[in-house]
Amino acid sequence: MPSDKYLPKNKKLQKLLQTANTETDSLYKDAWHRLKKDKLAMIGLIVIAALVLIAVVAHLIPGLDPEGIESSRQVAGKTIFPPYAPSAQNWMGTDQLGRDIMARVFYGIRVSLLVGVIARGLTMLIGVSLGVAAAYFGGWVDMLLMRLTDIFLALPVMLLAMIITLIMGPSLTTVCVALVVVGWPDVTRLIRGQAMILKNKDYVRASKTLGASGFWIITRQILPNCLSLIIVSFSMGIPGAIMYESGLSFFGFGIRPPSPSLGNMIADARGYMTVSPWYILYPGIALILIVVAFNILGDGLNDALDPYAKYRK
Amino acid sequence: MTSYIIRRLLILIPVILGLTLVVFLLVNVLPGDTARLIAGEYADEATVENIRVQMGLDQPILVQYGRYLGDLLKGDLGRSYQTHRPIANEIRAVFPKTIQLAITTEIIGLVIGVLLGMAAALRHGKALDRFISMFGVLGLSMPQFWFALVLQLLLSVKLGLLPPSGYKLGFDLYIILPSLTLGIPTAGWMSRVARSAFLEVLPQNFIRAGYAKGLSRNTMVWKHTLKNTMIPVISLVGTDMSRLLTGTMIVESVFVWPGIGKYGLDALLMKDMPALQATVIVLALSICLVNLIVDVLYAVVDPRIRYK
Repeated sequence: MPSDKYLPKNKKLQKLLQTANTETDSLYKDAWHRLKKDKLAMIGLIVIAALVLIAVVAHLIPGLDPEGIESSRQVAGKTIFPPYAPSAQNWMGTDQLGRDIMARVFYGIRVSLLVGVIARGLTMLIGVSLGVAAAYFGGWVDMLLMRLTDIFLALPVMLLAMIITLIMGPSLTTVCVALVVVGWPDVTRLIRGQAMILKNKDYVRASKTLGASGFWIITRQILPNCLSLIIVSFSMGIPGAIMYESGLSFFGFGIRPPSPSLGNMIADARGYMTVSPWYILYPGIALILIVVAFNILGDGLNDALDPYAKYRK
Repeated sequence: MTSYIIRRLLILIPVILGLTLVVFLLVNVLPGDTARLIAGEYADEATVENIRVQMGLDQPILVQYGRYLGDLLKGDLGRSYQTHRPIANEIRAVFPKTIQLAITTEIIGLVIGVLLGMAAALRHGKALDRFISMFGVLGLSMPQFWFALVLQLLLSVKLGLLPPSGYKLGFDLYIILPSLTLGIPTAGWMSRVARSAFLEVLPQNFIRAGYAKGLSRNTMVWKHTLKNTMIPVISLVGTDMSRLLTGTMIVESVFVWPGIGKYGLDALLMKDMPALQATVIVLALSICLVNLIVDVLYAVVDPRIRYK
C-alpha cells in the first residue's frame, strides 16, 4: 500500500503484519478470549462449574442422605454417640444427630448457589431498571431515587436484613427479599452513572432527534452499553449475597435446621467445636471455596470486559 | 469551603428524616402486640389496654411517628422494653466499645495491609506478589462468623494464649481476638488497594527523577511513594470505618464484646422494639456522619471538589 512506505522496513514488523490476527469480533468474543487466557479466572470458572454440578446432581447420588439421623453406632464392640469422626462411612464425619456432613454440605452448596444467583439476579433487575430510569428521566425522578438510595445506603446492612427476615419469617424467599432490599442501592447508583454518561453521547442524542421513543433508546442503546458493567456487578455481588445468607442462617434468621445451609451448620458446629473440629471445618471450607471462586471469576471478568484493563495489569 | 459543608448538610436533612420514617415503619410492622409484651403474659385485657393508651399505641401510625420524631429531637430514645432503662444511656455505654474495636481493627488492617500491598507491588509479578494477592482474596472471602470461631478455637482453646470472650476496660488481651477477626480480612482487602495504588505511583516520572538524583531506594520507597499512595488508601479508610462501625454484630456476638452491634442483635432477638429502633437510627446517623467527614476531607485534599 502506498502508505506503507513510511513504515519501518525491518523483518520484525513484516512478520508481525503477516501473522497478526487483525480480526476483532464483538466486545464479548474478545472478552471471552481474554478471559480464557487468564489462568486464575479459568480456575475459578472450573471450580464454579464443579460446584454447580454437585448442586444439581446431589439428590441423584445414591446413599447421600442429608437428613438421616443415627443416634448411636457400634464401633469395635463399643457404642459411640454422634458426632462421628470422618470415616469410610462418612467421609466428612457427621453432625450431632448423626447426619452425614458431606451430604449436608452438598445440599448446603446448592442452597448457597441458589440464593446467591437468584438474590443477586433480582437485585440486578431492580437496580438496573431504577438506575436507567433515574438517569434517563432525570428531574424529580432522579432526585427522589437518589435520596432513596442515600437513605438505604445509610442503614446498617446486616441489621436491616435481620429485621426483614424477622418480619417475614425465616425461609429462603425471605433471605432473597432481604438481600434485594439491602443490595439495590449500589447497583442503581452504578448503572445510573453509566447511563448518564451514555445519555449525553452523540448517537443517543441523534436517535432522539430522529424521533426514537424512550423505550427504544433505553433498550437498544443504553442497556446494551451497560451490559459489561451489569455482568461484572452481577458476578461480583454473588459472593456477597452468599456470605450474607450464611451470616443470616448462622444467627437463625435465614434457613433453619433441619434444612441444610452452610451457615446454620456452622452455628450448630459451634457447640461441638472443641470435640469435633471436622464439623466446623468442612462447611467453612465449602463456603470459602464458593466465595473465592466467584471472587476470582469476577476479577477475571472485570479485567476481560474492561477495554483499558490491559494497560493497568 | 463552608458553603460546601453547608450544602452537604442541607442534603443530609431530608435523608435523615426519611431514615427515621423508614426505620420507624419497618420496626413497627413487626408482628407482636407490644402492649402485651410490656404487660406480660398473665396480665388481663384491661391492663394491656391501659398500657396501650398510655404509650400512645392506639394512635394512628403517623401520629406515633410524629411523637417519636419529637422525642428524638430532644435526645430521648425511649425506654427499653427489656431493662426499662433509658436507651440513650445504654447506647452511650455500648457505642464507645464498638468505636474502640473499630479503631483497633482499622489500625491493624491499615498497617498490615499497606505493608503487604507495598511488598507485593515492589515485587510485582513474582511469587510473593501472587501469594499476597491470594491472601487478599482469601481475606475477603472468609465468612466472619466462621473465621471468628476458628480463631477462637485455635488461639484460645487449643493454644490457650488469649481469653475466648469478654471485655475489659482499656486495651487488654480481650480485644485481640475480635480485632484480629475483623482486622485480617480488612488487611487482605487493603493490601489489594495499596498494591494497585503503589503500582500506579511507581512508574511515574517523579520517582525516576528521585532515583536519578541519587536518592537511596529506602528513601524513595518509604518517603516518596508511600506518601503518595496514602491518598486513595485514606479515603477508603473512611468508608471502611462506616462499614466497621455498623457491621460488628457477628464478631461482638461471638466474642461477647458488649458493643452496639451486640446490643442491636440482642434487642432484635428479644423483640425489644424501642432499643432496636434506636440502634438502627444511631448507626445510620453515624454512617451519615462518617460519610460527611470523608467528603469534607476529600474536599480539603482535592480543591476541585469544593467548587462542584
